[in-house]
Amino acid sequence: MKLHFNRILLYIILIFLAFVTLLPLWTGILTAFKSEQDLILTTPVEFPLSPTLDPLIETFGLMARPIMNSLVFTITATILSCLLGSITGYVLALHAFKGSNTIFVLIIVGIFIPYQAVLVPLVLIMSRLDLYNSLGGLILTHTAYGIPICTLLFRSFYAEIPKSLIMAAKVDGAGIWTIYWRIVLRLSVLPFIVTAVFQFTNIWNDFLFGLVISRGVESMPASVELANLQGGFVALWNLQMAGTVWYTLPSLVVYLVLGKYLIRGFMTGAVKG
Amino acid sequence: MKFPRIKFTKDSLATLLLLLPALVLVGFFVYFAISWNVVVSVSNWKDYSLVVDYSFGGFRQYEKLFADPIFLTSLKNNLILIAIFVPGTLLVGLFLALLLDQKIRKEGVFRTIYLLPFTLSFVVTAFLWRWMFNLDNGVLNYFLGFFNLTSDWIINPDIALYCVVIPLIWQFSGYTMLIILAGIKSIPVSHIMAAEVDGASGFYLYRRVIIPQLKTSIATAFVILIIFALKAFDFIWILTTGGPGTATYILPLYMFRSSFMDTKFAYGSAIATILLLLVMMIVVPYLYKTYRGKEK
Repeated sequence: MKLHFNRILLYIILIFLAFVTLLPLWTGILTAFKSEQDLILTTPVEFPLSPTLDPLIETFGLMARPIMNSLVFTITATILSCLLGSITGYVLALHAFKGSNTIFVLIIVGIFIPYQAVLVPLVLIMSRLDLYNSLGGLILTHTAYGIPICTLLFRSFYAEIPKSLIMAAKVDGAGIWTIYWRIVLRLSVLPFIVTAVFQFTNIWNDFLFGLVISRGVESMPASVELANLQGGFVALWNLQMAGTVWYTLPSLVVYLVLGKYLIRGFMTGAVKG
Repeated sequence: MKFPRIKFTKDSLATLLLLLPALVLVGFFVYFAISWNVVVSVSNWKDYSLVVDYSFGGFRQYEKLFADPIFLTSLKNNLILIAIFVPGTLLVGLFLALLLDQKIRKEGVFRTIYLLPFTLSFVVTAFLWRWMFNLDNGVLNYFLGFFNLTSDWIINPDIALYCVVIPLIWQFSGYTMLIILAGIKSIPVSHIMAAEVDGASGFYLYRRVIIPQLKTSIATAFVILIIFALKAFDFIWILTTGGPGTATYILPLYMFRSSFMDTKFAYGSAIATILLLLVMMIVVPYLYKTYRGKEK
């Protein structure tokens, strides 16, 4: 609804706020291209006098393996949690039975719990299963804790499928699995993209689980490795920012390319773990 | 609609089978793990020991908590964080939503920019803002320097907790904007037109017609922001590690330190249980209100 005040003033405010929002990223990216000399000679918002790729090259060696680790467990856990969320959301949305609403609420409680309340048992579980400090352990953890939000998202999408379609299939003798496989899955392209983008961003950004169940190069996530750089590069802000650039790049690309699906996911889920 | 009996049983079995993986995983990793954590908090597991001991040791960890100044500070800081972060983010988010609702050009571009911080990892937010807060070369002191107003930000124990809120508002405003924008879009156009026929316009229309109809979306944002402020960990851990001293300690941070740095697992688990109870005090009424009576 239009307010009747100065349109120019409106755009000035909008652009100013966009500028404020982007400022931390602006200074971070610029700093990643500065030599130690330029760190002193230029202000934090200025371009480097002699732009250099050295900080990015130096941190690439450190971040490459953790970024690979993160890609592997993020993509795998995204796929698994989406599949499980899709099946669960399908049953709860389209085959409601007595108590299905209660089951749904009990599942989505998992979205809200503070993970601190499961952290000590989680470490014990992972050591018992011999999954401590392994990509498998991270995949299992992120899949399990991803199911609640994926179930919520898929259930909202599937609730919009016309009930008559499901009823007709039932009358034709199709079982619950056949309906899913033959009908619902084919209508699921958009839900899968939205949920997958949402989950990719969530898991990629995780720090806490990686911090407690991974210890070495075999499974170290990029988020944890980046946090470790802080100790190794005290006051070397160009290197810290270069590491940040590497870690942010994959999720930033996903946002810039598939942002509208992520926005859809945020609006449907209205939740972030 | 009634189905033949045999068909019905076959379908219930299939229903159960399809739900089983999610039920097992969530049951185990959420409910069983939470119970396990509570058991650890009342166990005899000794401090500084990696040897698990589940024998019942009473509630002494909980008694210790309320005599522990760091725990009380963390609890107080958590409440201060909520008191500033939640209204601050709601106000900025509401403002952004109203701006974007003005039928502006390039709405999508502005929305993408405002939401960008929310898609970043808290690790990244912490790194970027440590640099923003940097005393000699940070952006904040650079701009404030023009007015001779530089500050020592997160190094100063008196203001560190308030400084921590700034990046969090930066990160969550766009998201709050999105929730409220979704609420604005869902107001029936007829309501607004009716109000306009009655002569309402401009700010009056917003104050009397639009904002009151946003109750549900603002409530949703409110709940999500409070829960986040209770369990925020990553960001503060990397930005200040709770410092200087214990100026920015909050419960999740103190839990992590107790369990994984001090090796006091029973004590850490007790903190986690308190934290869980606090979060559930918000979540349970919210879920009850949202999903009650929606059984099909």
